[in-house]
Amino acid sequence: MSFVPKTQAFSGKINTVTLGTGDKAVTLGGQNVLPFYTFDAPIEHAPKIGVEISDTAKEWNTPALAAFYAGCETMVDFAKKAETMPGADFLVLHFESADPNGADRSVEDCVADAKAVAEAVTMPIVIMGCKNAEKDGQLFSKISEALQGKNILVMSAREEDYKTVGASVALAYGQKVGAETADDINLAKQLNIMMKGLGVAPASIVMNIGTAAVGYGYEYVASTLDRIRAAALAQSDADLQMPIVAPTSTDTWGVKESVATIEDAPEWGDQEERAIGMEIATAAANLTGGADAVIMRHPAAIATIKQFITELV
Amino acid sequence: MALKGLDIFKLSPKKNCKECGSPTCMAFCMKVAQGAVSLDKCPYFSADAVAQLSEATAPLMKTIEVGAGNNAHKMGGETVLFRHEKTLVNKNLFAVGLCSCMEPAEIDAKIAEMKKVDYERIGERMYVEFLFCSYAGNGVEKYVELVKKAAAADRAIVLECWDVEAARAALEVCKDLKPILDGATLENWEAMNALATEFGVTLGLYAENLSDLYDLVKKVEGAGNKNLVLDATGKTAKETLANAVLIRRTALKDGDRSFGYPAIVNLTKFARGDVRLQTAYAAMFTEKYGSIIVMSEMPYAAALPLYGLRQNIFTDPQKPMKVEAKIYPLNGADENSPCALTVDFALTYFLVSGEMERSNVPVNLIITDASGMSVLTAWAAGKLSSSSIKKTFEELDIANKIKNRTLIIPGKVAVMKGDIQEKLPDWRVVVGPLEAVQLPKYLKDKEYVGSAEELAAEAAAKEAMAAAAAAAAEEAAKPLDFEAIKLRVPAIEVVDTGVTYKGYNPESKTFVTIGERIHCISPVIRKAMAERDPAPILKRAAEQIAAGATYLDLNIGPAEKDGPELMMWAVQLLQQNFNNVPLALDTANKRAIEAGIKVYNRTHGKPIVNSADAGSRIDFINLAAANDAIVFALCSADGIAKDNEERMMHCHNMLERGLALGMASDDLWFDPLFLVVKGMQDKQMDVLQAIKMFSDEGLKSTGGLSNNSNGAPKHVRPIMDATLAAMCMMQGLTSAIVNPCDVRLMETIKSCDIFKNHVLYSDSYLEL
Repeated sequence: MSFVPKTQAFSGKINTVTLGTGDKAVTLGGQNVLPFYTFDAPIEHAPKIGVEISDTAKEWNTPALAAFYAGCETMVDFAKKAETMPGADFLVLHFESADPNGADRSVEDCVADAKAVAEAVTMPIVIMGCKNAEKDGQLFSKISEALQGKNILVMSAREEDYKTVGASVALAYGQKVGAETADDINLAKQLNIMMKGLGVAPASIVMNIGTAAVGYGYEYVASTLDRIRAAALAQSDADLQMPIVAPTSTDTWGVKESVATIEDAPEWGDQEERAIGMEIATAAANLTGGADAVIMRHPAAIATIKQFITELV
Repeated sequence: MALKGLDIFKLSPKKNCKECGSPTCMAFCMKVAQGAVSLDKCPYFSADAVAQLSEATAPLMKTIEVGAGNNAHKMGGETVLFRHEKTLVNKNLFAVGLCSCMEPAEIDAKIAEMKKVDYERIGERMYVEFLFCSYAGNGVEKYVELVKKAAAADRAIVLECWDVEAARAALEVCKDLKPILDGATLENWEAMNALATEFGVTLGLYAENLSDLYDLVKKVEGAGNKNLVLDATGKTAKETLANAVLIRRTALKDGDRSFGYPAIVNLTKFARGDVRLQTAYAAMFTEKYGSIIVMSEMPYAAALPLYGLRQNIFTDPQKPMKVEAKIYPLNGADENSPCALTVDFALTYFLVSGEMERSNVPVNLIITDASGMSVLTAWAAGKLSSSSIKKTFEELDIANKIKNRTLIIPGKVAVMKGDIQEKLPDWRVVVGPLEAVQLPKYLKDKEYVGSAEELAAEAAAKEAMAAAAAAAAEEAAKPLDFEAIKLRVPAIEVVDTGVTYKGYNPESKTFVTIGERIHCISPVIRKAMAERDPAPILKRAAEQIAAGATYLDLNIGPAEKDGPELMMWAVQLLQQNFNNVPLALDTANKRAIEAGIKVYNRTHGKPIVNSADAGSRIDFINLAAANDAIVFALCSADGIAKDNEERMMHCHNMLERGLALGMASDDLWFDPLFLVVKGMQDKQMDVLQAIKMFSDEGLKSTGGLSNNSNGAPKHVRPIMDATLAAMCMMQGLTSAIVNPCDVRLMETIKSCDIFKNHVLYSDSYLEL
């Protein structure tokens, strides 16, 4: 008796969400199988990679990363350079220095940056804030207004501010919005329900379901991804069928393995190579669990993950 | 795999005849499952049942043991595809590939490189477990040379070798290390199988595609060999993932044991030389079903992320991940740096240490044993107390290792400051921030230093406290003089609350509600207890009694300091004001419970000891037995029981202990531990089934039922609680710790008692 594998394509399907406009627009989601399970059914849209550009990027000091962006002064310079990075699908503008408890950069300055970048590049744009709900609220609204028609994605609307963010970003200015929760599948579902209640179309919503660097409580991320995909596909739960975008670099570049210098930990070897390893392994784990896009930083890590995706889809 | 006790129980005669020597059929079946007695001690199992048992209990995926001595490893044995469904059992192992085509110097260099990665992370040794030795067909001698080097490297070995002659020569060299012989194909399997059998080693099977591999397994199994691993490596990453997933899924989901073996994935075959790409693939195969993952090398840049990921993925989701209790010097801290303390819950540790590292301020982070619970949970459960902290300080010899005497405690347990200060009089205990994210600012601004005046005042207070602590320690060592304590208890004033306790017949079968509202986690009650202020306590008691509570729970918190006195006061306060209302005495302080029972009036039922468990609190059963009390017996030891098998094992351990101490089985009320829906939705039916099992054995049960709806919106909670109460009562739950002021819940319980025929129906049954 010969072996005939049982395939497992589901009737439930991940929504497709398109970011950007024109030739460079990208589509996330669309599959009805678990990540990379091409033996169950073909995967139409391969997962995508976003390149993180922070407004503090000039402080990035590991040699190869600094060399890649050598000569870049403004966010526009960084964005144009990032666009040339092999493997890049979209650009992520991360306004870290807007934080009122940090540099407290003004909303106007950030909007000006975002506008200048949007005029200089053709790839889709994703916006990340500074994690201060009040400041992010203003920032997201103003950037969405300034970039109307660019079909950007704004990360993120949270339980505490989804009403203002959802209403301005998605309803008033027609942009895409990310629903952010932290390893809590029940809240992830509830937030999507509430966003839909506001009038935001499911096709305008992506999810950030919580992130961590591998080794740092990543089991919660892994199981949340597993359970969300199981609900979306096997139970056809329409409130969890939004594609998932996983910010990866923001976690991995902050952990000990990435920040300890060679002097701090001589036995560990080259610092930049370690940071690349952390970023690669975390991105690969995110994609294996169910992320439809990962946000990354280092050109070498991005090139590797691009190859990883290409080989598997 | 061991037989499942519950599967055996299903087929058991359920006569409880005791002829086997066990008190119940369930207890007997559990013992059979553990291998403590054999099935034939029971004459009443049918022949059918016996046959069925041996067949049905074979595992879907075999556990394969390879290697020897320090390098022995287990692989496989998985029962689920995803960790959240239960847990993953045996972590994947990593190998570095060596080849007979390599020059001897290169082999030596690779082994030396491989050995450099060998470190500990959260109690686990992280290193490359296997050397994967490939034969390139370039002569038996070269292969033997390679295997000799590998055998001397103190690692387990895989021999990837399709040549029978070379394989035999290699096995002669390393047979004592119990290597895996990864070399059987459709062409050579008979000879390879004979070789593996002769040397008693695990055989690896490889075929061009899954269909051929399946046929090959059937042939080898047909020849009697089930000590196998499957080489799932394909020509591409894509094909390899398909193989690994389909092999595992066919076994576990489709129940086809032919693919129930661990899988080898050799990344060097399709990501040759690219360690970054191998790192990406290795991360994927860690999550998706590689049992041995072969890399061309394992530098720290790959090891740090991969071992971290593996440790996360193979953590049992039902057991909190703990870090070792010890001093973690951060940012170059030395003996002159301040200390900060937190619990051993891994997530807490990572959050706190991460934020501290961000501050760049040298700090000695002291992790104290708290059973892997978060700060507040541990405090409420009595697992984080001034005594447990003192114990940690003694065990770790902190006073001698560190000269600085500042100790920062978590802001969330600011209430413990006084107690800790008393137990550690030489230290200056300061309260840290509430949240970890506030730590960098707190440390950088040196908020913990405090003003000079404060320091002087504290130095003066310190001496006084040292004396008090010495006196207290002396006190603690002495047996309790209850009469003396009683004299210290303030006189009880009986006030007219307008509410009378109606009484309770312990013989009745009606559902017992234990009112949960007198609990020290409530700030109002905590204050009232500290100040011996009767009013807030009486108010809550009156409300609960008016609402129909049978018992009242009296939670006085950890009560480390004046527990006996406080409990005596509270027991008398409640009983004298409310017609001797029966009480559950709820604290981790055993002396307090003992004291409370001394003044307890039994008119309406025995006192309840809340609570014992099968772990560190098992001696609360002794306390109940010695005082003729009822005891709540939590069916858990360290953390939540992972399944009903474990729940029932704890149940029977505690039952046997109680019975041996002369208790009646009715006086042990078993608590399955209600789990929160938001988080453990898929475990709810397990809890309900556990209640049924208690009931089937004639045991009483209880639990904090409303835990199920923790975190749900206020308007939803009563509906969830009432529905679960009805389902539980159908399963045979006999009591619960509830909020009796929840009208919907109480009406549901009363209605269930009608349907269960415990109370005779009348139109006014809800008002009774």
